Amino acid sequence: MQLRDYILRRLLVLPILIIGVSIVVFTLTRVGGSPIGIYLSHEMTPSEVAEIQARFGLDQPVWVQYLQWAKGILQGDFGYSGVAAAPVSDIFPLKLAATMELAVAAGCVALFLGITLGTFAGARRNKLPDHITRIVAVSGASLPQFWFGILLLIVFWAQLGIAPIGRSDATIFASIAHPTGLYTIDAILAGSLTAFWDAVWHLILPALTLGYGATAIIARMMRSALVEELQQDYVDAARAKGLAEKIVLKRHARRNALVPTVTVIGLTFGFLLQGTITIEIIYRWPGLGRWMADSVLRGDQGTLMTYVLFTSVLFLLVNLIVDVVYANLDRRVTLGK
Amino acid sequence: MTTIKWRNHLTAALVGGALAFALPLDATAQVNNPGLLVHAADDEPTTLDPAQVEPGEGGETVILQVYDRLLDFGSDSPELIPSLAVEVPSVDNGGISADGLTYTFKLREGVTFHDGTAFSADDVKYSWDRAIEMDLPEGNAGALADVIASSEVVDDMTFSVTLNDPSASFLNSVVTAMVASVVSQDAVEANGGIEAGVPNQYMAGNMVGTGPYKFVTWNRNENLQLEVNDNYWGDNAKLDVRIEIGGDPDVRVLGLRAGEFDTIETDPSFVADIEGADGVTIFKGGLLLEPLHIGMNLNIPEGSLPPEDTISEDFFHDPRIRQAFNHAFDYEAFLNGPLAGYGEFNPHYVPIGLFGHDASAPVYNKQNAAEAERLFREAGVWDEGFSVSVITEEGNLFALMCLVLKDSLERLNPKFRINVLAVAESVFDDAHASNPLEYAMWAKNADPAADPNFYLNAYAHPDGEWGEVHGFGNGYRDAAKIAGLIDSAAIELDPAKRAATYAEIQRELYEDPMWIIGAQEGIVMAHRSWLEGFAMQPLWPRPSLKFSLFDK
Repeated sequence: MQLRDYILRRLLVLPILIIGVSIVVFTLTRVGGSPIGIYLSHEMTPSEVAEIQARFGLDQPVWVQYLQWAKGILQGDFGYSGVAAAPVSDIFPLKLAATMELAVAAGCVALFLGITLGTFAGARRNKLPDHITRIVAVSGASLPQFWFGILLLIVFWAQLGIAPIGRSDATIFASIAHPTGLYTIDAILAGSLTAFWDAVWHLILPALTLGYGATAIIARMMRSALVEELQQDYVDAARAKGLAEKIVLKRHARRNALVPTVTVIGLTFGFLLQGTITIEIIYRWPGLGRWMADSVLRGDQGTLMTYVLFTSVLFLLVNLIVDVVYANLDRRVTLGK
Repeated sequence: MTTIKWRNHLTAALVGGALAFALPLDATAQVNNPGLLVHAADDEPTTLDPAQVEPGEGGETVILQVYDRLLDFGSDSPELIPSLAVEVPSVDNGGISADGLTYTFKLREGVTFHDGTAFSADDVKYSWDRAIEMDLPEGNAGALADVIASSEVVDDMTFSVTLNDPSASFLNSVVTAMVASVVSQDAVEANGGIEAGVPNQYMAGNMVGTGPYKFVTWNRNENLQLEVNDNYWGDNAKLDVRIEIGGDPDVRVLGLRAGEFDTIETDPSFVADIEGADGVTIFKGGLLLEPLHIGMNLNIPEGSLPPEDTISEDFFHDPRIRQAFNHAFDYEAFLNGPLAGYGEFNPHYVPIGLFGHDASAPVYNKQNAAEAERLFREAGVWDEGFSVSVITEEGNLFALMCLVLKDSLERLNPKFRINVLAVAESVFDDAHASNPLEYAMWAKNADPAADPNFYLNAYAHPDGEWGEVHGFGNGYRDAAKIAGLIDSAAIELDPAKRAATYAEIQRELYEDPMWIIGAQEGIVMAHRSWLEGFAMQPLWPRPSLKFSLFDK
């Protein structure tokens, strides 16, 4: 099957999957507690509770509620967030931008360090650099993020005072326009070096904390794959041809070792998104993760449904992209079979 | 479900340990963020609209700073002081009619709202009528609607209100409530106006008041910024304010120690992490007016209890059982453990520090195992034992209070079983708001108020909020007497007679308790030592701070 046909087929199936996911999401959030828990208090009479239920359409049969919710989503109305005291559609893009910025920064950290360390270790199998890399990798995978994050805060924020907390300096942040919601990009668009530096400076610690855990996974996978590739006949053939070891490693073995690693990178994206919940709470990062944590605890179902639906759709798309990239890297893979 | 937020404790231990070995912080050398007060808050507001805010909710903190009311409480006493009204109405100054029904407020001239419009009596009437007309169930409009028969703009600077019945608590509890804040009529009308039963989204996220602070911006889940109102009618505030919202409590502690935050919201369980830190002062003084209590349900629907509960639905109808629980609770363990020694034991049910509190009234303040055993035996539950669940929010003092209850009862008799259901806030709120309530026991704190009538009406009156939900009428030895005493005190305008009635009520409730009151929590607030003018007033909404008083 042609790559184009495969992508089209997957995209055609996507709406059906999204409808299925939306039904599951809606059902689960209805089972998970009162959708208006955030507004309830014991002082309310049953008629007052009923009044709030009516305000959010909860006096309708569940299937009507689902249809209203789905209709709202198609019209861009994702409901009202009690936690944020604003329509979800107003707040979600801002939070999403903050989280994506963090996740992408952490992803860059993880990719760069993971592939570099993995290649470094794989090429020096069972030697001291390999052992050191293993220790680094295992540490990243096993250190609890909340602990590692707080440790970094103690040292670099509280003790040394060289790293900030939060996403921005409030004054600098307010000094530029935010057309994309991505602080780094907005700073570049505004031509403000001060704002750009502020954005990067605030990103360093949370991105490092979040990316470190993912670094470990990528590095280990990269190392294993590279070790395997270096034992293949084609590597011996390349060496026999007289190619420099550097070229053998980078142009041949590493490229093939990237195939299984790319699959892990796709999964790592999910890890990074999940990880942002802890990281955002610790670093006071105003993103989706922190908003979701509050929404779970305070029963803000409108926000939760939007978030779960969004992440479900995102995963479907990311899986599609990973499949395509995978096929591109490894010509032996045939799509659609 | 009994797992209390272990992660917090583990983190606290790790943070504390790491800090102990770390280099000393040099945060005292300079004042961080000069001209700006950074307050790290626990909760995010769900609204900034006085007509929508629920008492005790995070929005009240901001409303207190940006809006004014007719009267207020000073920082150092529970006495009322003038605010937008120029004097506190009394019978002597003609502000209260002889029959106690009509209150007349002379208003302050020359006051302007933050949008530049002039303040007048029209705005007061508009603000109060607006809350009553919107009547949002999550808000506190009932505080006004339940007592006010009519209101009138006498002239531009005079506003009068007539009550349904005489009320000894009107000024203390109603006029000072956040729902009685005065909003800009022009701002509301320009942004959605008033619609019955429908929140005003503009007012939920914006503020136009007359207070010492002007609202600047609210970055959801991040921070909320206020700036000094240079045209304030009173003493100008000195510092702009940034309220940092939510986040991990341990990070708030860390931020205070590092000098990044000037004030943080904490409870006594954090004292050990802060005490002795350079440049940090722990304000300890007085008590919060939010007694920590465990409710006993006398109105349990048949078959609704959790399966592990073995008690009958009428278990708490027997006053001996309720007394026995009160005797069995290990008060000192709770005070010296979770409360770190900051608190007092108080009687049923007028908090210490409030008018009407009788210091000589009997108090459950010491575990009396022998008396508890005697009462449990008399009630016929000692030999067979029982299992009962208590539901609460996870990860806070309430959950710890439940664990103390569990430990107290299970040590008293191994056949007793207390199942602590520590659940997420939303799950607890759902259960707590249901009527009838499907749990035999639950733990929380009382809502704060400035007048004893609020507490007794809400928590002791057989026909009051909890009397009705919990079915107090099923258990009081003499429900009519309790109701009569509370009702008569509510309309008694002679303070001496009123205090005497409250003293009698407290004695009655000691013999016939409907709650286990673990303690009245002490005020503990940590702030940077460079902060000047620090004061707390428990009658102000949590965290009981007025930022306009501070300087650094």
